[in-house]
Amino acid sequence: MKPRLQIISAEHRSAASPVVLDVEQVSKRFVTNGSGDITVLQNISFTVRRGEFICILGRSGCGKSTLLNILAGFMPPSAGVVRLNGRPAGHPGPDRCVVFQEDALFAWLTVKENIAFGLKGRAMTRREKEREVDRFLSLVGLTDFADYLPAEISGGMKQRVSLARVLILQPEILLMDEPFAALDAQTREEMQDLLLRLWSELSHTIVFVTHDVGEAALLADRVLLFDRAPGRIKEEIRIALPRPRQKEDDGYYALCRSITAKIKAL
Amino acid sequence: MIRRIVVMTQPRRLLNWLIPGIFFLAWLVVSETGLAPPYLLPHPKDVLATASSYLFGDVGQAAYAGRFFEDLTASTTRVLLGFGLAVIAGIPLGVLSGRLALVNHLLSTTINALRAVPGISWLPLAMVWFGIGIKTTVFLVALAAFFPIYLNAEAGARQVSPTLLQAGAMMGVRRLRGTFAILLPAAMPSIITGLRLGMGISWAYLVLGELTGVTNGLGALIMDARMLGRIDIIVVGIILIALIGRLCDVGLHYALRLSFKSARRIP
Ligand SMILES: Nc1ncnc2c1ncn2[C@@H]1O[C@H](COP(=O)(O)OP(=O)(O)OP(=O)(O)O)[C@@H](O)[C@H]1O
Ligand SMILES: [Mg+2]
Repeated sequence: MKPRLQIISAEHRSAASPVVLDVEQVSKRFVTNGSGDITVLQNISFTVRRGEFICILGRSGCGKSTLLNILAGFMPPSAGVVRLNGRPAGHPGPDRCVVFQEDALFAWLTVKENIAFGLKGRAMTRREKEREVDRFLSLVGLTDFADYLPAEISGGMKQRVSLARVLILQPEILLMDEPFAALDAQTREEMQDLLLRLWSELSHTIVFVTHDVGEAALLADRVLLFDRAPGRIKEEIRIALPRPRQKEDDGYYALCRSITAKIKAL
Repeated sequence: MIRRIVVMTQPRRLLNWLIPGIFFLAWLVVSETGLAPPYLLPHPKDVLATASSYLFGDVGQAAYAGRFFEDLTASTTRVLLGFGLAVIAGIPLGVLSGRLALVNHLLSTTINALRAVPGISWLPLAMVWFGIGIKTTVFLVALAAFFPIYLNAEAGARQVSPTLLQAGAMMGVRRLRGTFAILLPAAMPSIITGLRLGMGISWAYLVLGELTGVTNGLGALIMDARMLGRIDIIVVGIILIALIGRLCDVGLHYALRLSFKSARRIP
């Protein structure tokens, strides 16, 4: 049974906005110790428009993190090009920010200092910086924890800090690598709600990696379904369910079932 | 913000002195009962008298009287100079070798070979090179303190998670600032371990360096007392070195915490 996909804003957004990220024929091979080279990504091509929310959905080991690392500029592709606003995206920089799969906060800095870290050296007065930090602290609901150290806050709070420290830099595109995978179900739902709220307020462009079908169906305008060995885009699924989406909706449920069936068929 | 002050309760503070206290009592007992004759282990009250004369007496009043501050100044200067040199060389080289394969290949064989040479084998050579005096001592101290400082800085820098450096890169941090803003703070716990080990070993090699040729310093004091058979002075010297070594460790600890967030906020 296919859900009926029609209507709405997501469709509208993606058709009208300019392309921010253009991934063209990207492949990645690793030289390994034992068994020669392995091809982890093969001919990946897709584009992301301004304000779009893209989910990359695939099973463990299909190269999702590798792709995100290439998009972020942490490693070069073996072949192909990544373009940001039409220009080849080179070294990593604040135009493409990552929320990592694991905890990557600076343990010796407080929540507030972590969020302020990327502002150093920007042409802003101290006052302006403080105001921005306070604004983002409150956006992610951590005002009361401003002076805590990462070791003193929960996993969910850590990911809120990770989110705030990159959102404050106003990146062209936000790359998120299974950011909520390590959280318990309830905290994960809170974080998904928070992310959607921030997305509608700040209208970021997001590429979000996940292996959770429900999460992709809840968040994405489009889902890129990845196949394994070598990693490649098997199918692009446009999700037109109206927002805010409810997990109790029949449409949502049907969508999850159909995506799950597609994954099983891989 | 200071929210993690651990208030040491009184009983716990006392615990620090439990073992020294037991040693002292045992010493008192074996001396009082005559189990250990004075020529092997002098009585605590004699040692106390010697110590008080050595520390506070007037020079010339008795042998060793009032020499303490001269010895302390001489020894501390040598330790700080040697330790300082070891820090200046050990931390940059260690961090570089932990991060750059090229530097590591260049240094690791040499350093690990030299590390195997016992410090005392350097003494005759150092005396030939630097003559008798402060340079030999400083050289020995610097050489000995270098290895733990270097090795721990290397391990600390190597173990810094690449994700932290990537996070810095994406937030616009270039190499040089990344080194000071991310790499060093993240490696700080290891660096501190190296510094504390280095400081400890500095005092050990200080005594070695002062055993021959110099006239002042705590090592010279002990050596001199051995020749004259003044075992009470030897015991005083040993206790003083232990106390000063401990003080230096505490001082180092506080100085680091005062200077670096990353030292203050070790989880
Ligand atoms: N530096 C590397 N050298 C060699 N092989 C690598 C390297 N990095 C990743 N791989 C291989 O690439 C494949 C994909 O890894 P990647 O981390 O991108 O998967 P993933 O989809 O993010 O998985 P997960 O969902 O578990 O995070 C794996 O088989 C892995 O062994
Ligand atoms: Mg991954």
